[in-house]
Order: sequence, then C-alpha cells, then structure tokens
Amino acid sequence: MPENHGQETSDERRIDRRRVLKTAGAGTLAGVSGLAGCLEGLGGGTTATEGGGGGTITYGVLNPISGAYKGLGPGQRNGSKLAIKQLQNDDDFEYDIEAVYKDTGTSSETATQVATEAVDKDGANFLVGAISSSVAGALNGFAQENEVIYNPGGAAVPLTGEQCNEWVFRAETNTAQIAEAVAGYTVNNLGSNVWFHIANYAYGTSVLDRTEARMKQESADYSRAGLTKSKLGASNYDSYISEISNSDADVVVLGMTGGDLITFVKQAVSKGLNEEVTLVSPTMTFAVVLGALGADAYGTYGGVRYIPSLSTGDNPSFVEAYKDEFDGAVPDNFARVGYQSIMMTAKGVQEAGSVDPATVKDTLPGMEMSTIFGTNQFRECDHQAMNPTWMGKIVEPDSGDVGTVETVTKLSGEEALSNLPCSETGCSM
Amino acid sequence: MGLATSLLDQLINGLTVGMVYVLLAAGLSVIFGVMDVINFAHGELFALGAYFAFAVVGTSLGAGTGFWAALVLAPLGVAVAGAAVERFTVRPLYGRDPLYHILLTFGLVLIFTDAIELVWGPQSLPFGPPPSLAGTVTVLGYTNSLYSYFVIAVGGLMALAAYLVLTETRFGLIVRAGSMDREMVRHLGIDIDSYYTLVFAFGSLLAAFGGIVLAGRQGVDPAMGNRVIIPAFVIVVLGGLGSFRGAVVGGLGVGIIQTLTRTYKPSLLGVTLDLEGLVVFLLMIGVLLVRPQGLFGNPEWHDPSGGGDLLTGAGSGVLEQRLRSGLGVALLAALLVAPLGIGLAYSSYEVNTLLVTAMIWALFALSLDFVMGYAGLVSLGHVLFYGLGAYTMALTVTRFVESMWIALVLAVIVGGVVAWGVGYLSIRVSGVYFSMITLGFAELAHQLTFTLSGITNGENGIYSGFDPTYWPLAAARVGELNWREVHAFYYVVVVLVAGSYLVARQLMRAPFGSVLQSIRESEQRATFVGYDTTAYKRRAFVVSGGLAGLAGGLAAVHLGGVSPEFLFWLKSGEVIVMTILGGMGTLYGPMLGAGVFVGLEEVLKNSALVGEQWQGVLGVVFVLFVIFVPRGLVALPARFEQLLSERAGGGGGTPAATPQDEGAPEGGTD
Repeated sequence: MPENHGQETSDERRIDRRRVLKTAGAGTLAGVSGLAGCLEGLGGGTTATEGGGGGTITYGVLNPISGAYKGLGPGQRNGSKLAIKQLQNDDDFEYDIEAVYKDTGTSSETATQVATEAVDKDGANFLVGAISSSVAGALNGFAQENEVIYNPGGAAVPLTGEQCNEWVFRAETNTAQIAEAVAGYTVNNLGSNVWFHIANYAYGTSVLDRTEARMKQESADYSRAGLTKSKLGASNYDSYISEISNSDADVVVLGMTGGDLITFVKQAVSKGLNEEVTLVSPTMTFAVVLGALGADAYGTYGGVRYIPSLSTGDNPSFVEAYKDEFDGAVPDNFARVGYQSIMMTAKGVQEAGSVDPATVKDTLPGMEMSTIFGTNQFRECDHQAMNPTWMGKIVEPDSGDVGTVETVTKLSGEEALSNLPCSETGCSM
Repeated sequence: MGLATSLLDQLINGLTVGMVYVLLAAGLSVIFGVMDVINFAHGELFALGAYFAFAVVGTSLGAGTGFWAALVLAPLGVAVAGAAVERFTVRPLYGRDPLYHILLTFGLVLIFTDAIELVWGPQSLPFGPPPSLAGTVTVLGYTNSLYSYFVIAVGGLMALAAYLVLTETRFGLIVRAGSMDREMVRHLGIDIDSYYTLVFAFGSLLAAFGGIVLAGRQGVDPAMGNRVIIPAFVIVVLGGLGSFRGAVVGGLGVGIIQTLTRTYKPSLLGVTLDLEGLVVFLLMIGVLLVRPQGLFGNPEWHDPSGGGDLLTGAGSGVLEQRLRSGLGVALLAALLVAPLGIGLAYSSYEVNTLLVTAMIWALFALSLDFVMGYAGLVSLGHVLFYGLGAYTMALTVTRFVESMWIALVLAVIVGGVVAWGVGYLSIRVSGVYFSMITLGFAELAHQLTFTLSGITNGENGIYSGFDPTYWPLAAARVGELNWREVHAFYYVVVVLVAGSYLVARQLMRAPFGSVLQSIRESEQRATFVGYDTTAYKRRAFVVSGGLAGLAGGLAAVHLGGVSPEFLFWLKSGEVIVMTILGGMGTLYGPMLGAGVFVGLEEVLKNSALVGEQWQGVLGVVFVLFVIFVPRGLVALPARFEQLLSERAGGGGGTPAATPQDEGAPEGGTD
C-alpha cells in the first residue's frame, strides 16, 4: 500500500532487474543457437541445383500458349506431358521426374522471365520448349548462364550454330536438315525461278539462307525471282502476293510458320496465286496448318519433320500412347519434339548416373540411343539430333477436307546433315 | 502493262484495308468529337464484332447465309454492348480530363480481351468469306480477289450510310452540333447527354462491321483489336478529331500508304529505304506539329486542353509528414533486409525477380509522375525513353564496353537527350494532341527497331553476348557477384531507385517543383506571373526521360537482354495505370502503385480461381479505381475519412460516386 510503496517498489525493481538479467542470459543463449540455425538458411542456403544424391529431375516446360504461336504450343506441351508420365511410370528409370509448365508467349522477355521463375522458384534443372527461334535464342543464353540443360523447340540453325553452347541439346529438326529435303526436290521438279517470302526473324532468315544455298548447289538453273519479308505476326500479305503474282516466279518458298503461314496461304488462294505458282513451305505439313487451311492446301508442298504415319523406330507405340492419353488426338511435330527432347535427355541422365546437368551435358553428346526415328543421337560437335527428313505433297484426302501428306523423298539422319558439317556450323563450345 | 497492273494491284490492296480503317476510325472520331472520350477499347469492339459473327456462322446457318446474317446481327449486338459500356463505365467520367477516359478504356481493353479468350479461347479461329464471295474475278483481263472488291464496296456503302445518317437525320444534326459546341446545344434545350449512349452505340456498330469484314480475310484472334487501335488513332489524328470526312480520307490514305511502302522501297544514294510503318507515324507527328486539328478538323470545335483537372493524390493523405517519412524509412529498411530471408519465408524468385521487377517499374512510374503528376503533361509514349535506355544498355555492353555502370550512365544521357528533342517538338502542342504526339514518337522508335535490324537485331533482340560486368568497381559479371542467393544486383537496384526518388523529391521541393505544379494547375496563370512555362516543361521532360532511361537500362540487365517489345505501346499504358493507381503528383504514390500492380499481377496469375484470366481481373480493378478512387491509393485514407465523416455528419446528403474534381486542388507536395 502507499506507505510501503516506495520501498517495495525499489526492492521489486532490484529483483526484477536481477531476474531480467538471468532470463536475458538464458534467452540469449537460446536465441543465438536458434539464430545459428536460421543463419544456415539465410540468404537462400544451398540452391536446388547443387546437392547430390539420387535427385529429382524438374523439367521446366516452356511453351507458347499465347501470342503468335499459341496454336502450336499446346501440342508441344502435351508431348512433354506424355514423356513425363511415361518416365514416372517406368520402373527401369531410376530417377524421380516432375515438371512445371509455363507460358512464354511469343516473347523473349516473357520467356526469360518464366524461365527464371521455373529455375529460381520451382527448382527446375532442365528446360524444354519455345517454338520461335528468337525466343529459343534468348533461352539458349539463359541456360548457359544458369547452368541448366535446355532443349529448344526452334528450328533456326544458329541455335546449334553460332549461338550454341554446351548446355543446349536440340531434338527438333533444323532448317538446314529440312532444306536438304526441300531444296533439291523443288528446284529439280517444281521450278527453278524461286521467290522467297519470309517472316523477318531468326527462323525465316535461316530458311532463306539454307534453302537458297542448297538450291544453288543442286541446280545451275536456279535463280532468285525475288525476296520479300514481313513482320512476324503480320496479318495482311496482299501486297506481297500481288508482287509475286506480277513476277515470273515458278515457285514460292515461304519461310514462316503457324498463323503467319496460314493467313498467307489463305490470302494467296483468295487471290488465285496458287494457280500461277507452286507454294512450298518447310512447315506446310504441320497439322495445325493443314487443319486450318483445309482445301486451300491441296497442291502445295512442304518439308516433313514428322508425321504420325511414320513407321520408324518407336513411333507407332508413341502415337498409340498419345492417342490414349489425349482422347484420340494424334501427335504433331511439336508434340514429337516435346516428347523426344525429354526422352533423349532422360536417357542421358540414366547413362550419366546423375541428375546434375553439368554431368549430363558431358554424357549426352554423341550418345547413341533408340528413339521415334530409330537409332539417333545428339551430334557431338553441335548437339543437334540427327533426325531424318522428308519432302511431302499435300493432296486431297479420301474423307473430310484436311489435306493428306504424301511423302515424295526421304533423307536419313546422316544425309540430312550432310550439307552442314561440323566445320561449317559456326558452333564453338 | 506490267507496271500498271502491279500498281493497280497494290491500290486495290490499299483500298481494301483502307476501307476497314475507315469504318474503324469513323466511329472513333465521332465518339471523340462529340463526347471527348478517347476510346482505347474501340479495337476490342472491332474484335467483338468479328467474334459475334463467328458465333453466328457457327450456328446452323452455316458459312453461306450465316455470313450475311452475321453482317446484320453482329454489329447490332456490339452496338448494344457499346451502349452498355457507355452507360455504366464512361458516363461517370464525364467532365474529367481525357486521361481518365484513356485509363478507363485501357482497363476495358484488358477486360474485353480476356473475356474473348475465356469464351472462345486464345487460338485464332478460322473465319472466311461465304462461298459466294470466294475466289477471283476477272474484269477486262484484270484478275483480283472477289472478296477484296466486296470489302471495298460494302465498306464504302456503309460509310456512305453513316454519312447520310450524320447529315440527313435529326440525330446526325445533333451529333454534329454537339461535336462543334456541346454547351450551345445544351443551351438550345437539347439534352445532349442522352444522345451519348446512341453515339457510342453508333461508333461501336461501325467498328464491329469493320471487324467482320476484316475477319473474312484473316480469321479471328484475340489480338486483332490491339493490332488496329494504333493505326486507328493515327488516322483519327490525321483526319481531324471529330471529322467524319477526315476519317474517310485518313483511313483510305493510310491504307494505301501502308501498302505502297510495303511494296515500293525507294533507294537514296544506294541505300534502300524501308519506310514501311515509319511513314504513317511521321505523317501523324508532322500533322500534329503543323496543323494539330488534322486535315479536316476545325480548331474551334474542340479545345484540346479542355476537360477536367488531373486529379493528384497530393495533399490528400491523412498521414502526417513525419509518419510518412517514418514509413518510407521502414520500407527502405525492409527492402535492404529482404534478401536475407530467402530460403526461410520465400524463395529467390520473390526477391530477385519479383521485387526487382517492381522496383524497376517503380522507377519508371516515378519518371512519369514527374511530368504527368506535376507538370500535367500526359505522355502516352513514355515507353520511348524506357526502351531507348534498354537498347543503349544492350548495345553498349555488346559492342563497346561491358561495364554496366558506364552503360547505365549512357542510358540516362540518351533518355535525357531524346527527351529534350521530343519535348522541344511536342511541348508546342497541348492536351490530347501532346499525348498523341508522344505516342507517335514511341511508335516510331518501335518501328525503327525492326527497320534498323542491322543495329538492333530486329525481332530477335539482343540476348546472346549480353553479359555486363561491374567494372570498374569489381571485375565480376552481373549475376556472378552474390553470396548464396543474395545478389549484388538487387542492392544496386534498391540504391539506384531510392536515390532517384530522393533526387526527384529534392527537385520538387525546390522552386522548380512549385513552378511545375502551378503550370499543372493553370498554365495561363503561370505565364502571366512571368514564368517561361515551356522551358520548365522541357526541363521536367528531360529529367523524366533520364529517369525512364535508367529504368530501361536496369530492365535490360534484369531480363538478360532487349527486344522490340520493350518499346511496345502497351507498356506506356501500364505505367500510366500504375501512376494513377498509386496517386500521381506525390512521387511516392506511383512507386507504390507499381509495387501493387506487380504484386497483384503475380497473385492473380497464381491464384487457382483466376489463373488464365488475370488480365481481365486486373482490368476490372483499374476500372473501379478510375471511377471511384481516381486520386489513387495514397488518397484512400482520406477517402475513408471523408466517407466516415459524411456518414457521421450531414444526414441527408448522399455523396454521389463522382469525385470531387470541382474542389480546389490541395496545396503542397509531401
């Protein structure tokens, strides 16, 4: 009470101080040991990609689900999904495998952002995807900087050429391989005065360079009737079509894909161009393109990277498995790439005995394995898969109106790359 | 014969696409002329017309009759949609500065695009002319596509019909009068406001019709609206805001010019000039400088600086100065400590990707606030400086010296110098014309990244070989200097962004800042007092450009390279949204807005509920903000306070949802 208050208070205070110091001491000890534990994890601790042991493969599956290539993205994603599922259910495959799925848009900026997300946030140590060669190029650089393995879905040669690096392994067929099949047949059978129309980006330029170079070698009669370039994603090709129509070209080679190619051919047919020249495109045989063009595609020619009717290697069982998984849908080239990329890389992991990309990247080059196309490998000097290629003609089908692809020539893996020897790729690793 | 045929070919091509432009621009021009509303969502109404037509054709009517039915039904449907948009979103904003219409309609673009994708999917869908219009037709030995002739014919008929409606009907009379002088029409006893809905519907109908007709040539896809909106604005500006005749001449003209420049590339001194895309923007800029009202516009019709005030967040905070400074210091401390928590509470992604992205956007928004929130210059093309900063960084590192610091300094200089040049030309015009001219410069730069592909690497961008270092401060490459997951680059960004804020704040506290504010409040008054307002505006623009250039340079390092998308117009829109969201005129408001925007985007993208349609939700958020909280987030506390006191105080008066733009602007920055 008030009279004793002063004394009690000072006593209490003294006691309190002592008690406080005691508890403080004990508390500090406890705190420091706890903090030490925290410090372990401070600033991120060990990163996901380091760390040995059995390990998990986390595949970052990056596809264009929006943007100019959004029609082609889902197929690529489905192929990867099937591969992941098969590997998860495969008792002979000794590693855990999982995937994260991201949308790259058709934008290098978005692609690098989602790739960062996949690697930093989701712990991806392998990446697959992109279709636009510009986007894939950006991801090449990303893979090297972040030391993860990347399987590009773009077809421009520089991806395993000047822009190559030891982390990049391409299962997709490149423009040189296709040009090998397309160029010779075209200039010898369809016409030697050739007009080139390309979309002005990595893929289009690659098609022009490769196809023209090959045609010059194949035939002394070759001449270039003209060259026009449009912006990627353009929607109005009338002016180019008129130019071509007013020239004396026999053949037009179109270096574009996806929506661009579809729109061009539609507008060309609407103006009657297909009656004046033969339309050829390395990507004319894509399922998406044929589906969208319908009857407009009859009589055109295209390079074939893959068609489901092939009887090479594991393809029949791949097609069956795909149909089962995706309600009867049939795989297209992009599904094939999404699937083949992961399957071939996984074989490398198995062989290397480790999920560490740094180890796998040294095992994969030149390693022979059986694939959809039969025996195949990532060529040692540039990591390009030695896929076979075909030239195809689109004809009227027996039923429905989506064109059927009739192959008219085939080149083996070696033949397809014969014009791109290691010394000429521009790749140095 | 050959040359004549090919010229005729290209003319027909030009007229075909030109007719579509006419339909699009006519509606846009009339809407602006009568209602003073800049409708960025006009492209979406265009796309919606095409999609509605696709839906009609998809029914049992089939491709033949379906197409003709669609030509009638779809535009009517879109007209109804347009009327609804006007009634519920645009009407609350009348009397406000056109900036808010831009913002609102920008939000609508996001909503519409996502709604379309939600219903029809993101893929492009096949849509073609009916069998009766397919194929070619030969007249006097000249062959061309029948559908092209159809487009020209029906487009012309539609334009003629619209013209007759405008000149021969009473509705048209009122619309034209309102376009000239709205006040006078009101004084004559006509309630022009109720006509606005009809005008908007009318414009939407024309746009939808154009969309259907164009879809017949290239199918439908969700991006078709975005692709045409910029050319549409160019045409409206060229022809004259509010002039139907201008829209017709401008539309056909731009269509033909675009087609001809694609085909014919003149050579000057042995160098082939690829003018595609450039000519149109050069024309727009030229017209704005020489004759801002456009070829057929009338300067008396429209006061470009008319409309309401720009609503700033300044002075409306309830928080005391000291509390605010305390919060700022706390935020900075939190940012500095954040990387230490990686692995404990969150992963590297949240700090090294998300936070860095947010800070870079915050810097960009800060730069915009400098000119928009203080000087009142609504720059629609601010991405120009950002993009140039990014390209400067990439080009310097890949071609000259790999030092990030040197490249950043260059980025700031380039941003400032270009801002001086652009400012010198643009500041002559005011209001909406200023906004358009800045947009024109940004689009010009965007186009140049494709044209000058020898330097910029065109579409592919500059990614490989881009590896900046910290020289001369350290020998390490950016990205290699880190302790575990704590990256040095993160701290570089924190320091630069915080530093920029402090520099900007210091500038604003000086008399320079007060003068800028007075210019925003009333430029006339400032001039009368004796200030050279043009010089002040230009200086503000230069500082702003430098800061934006810095942001762009940092962005390039952050993203590992640069590509033409860094100059895409949508980014200008995004940064304006961030600035308004936060509350402009405060410097820290827009930075806060940037953080909220980036955070919200991330949350929405990852939420299971919203996922794919996050842009639409974001759009809804903006629309709500623009209508109800135009002063931004920093003004929210004051808003709450006001609402609470109104509820506690005066009983009868129900506060309408209209903002208090009549109130005198509160004084002082923070």
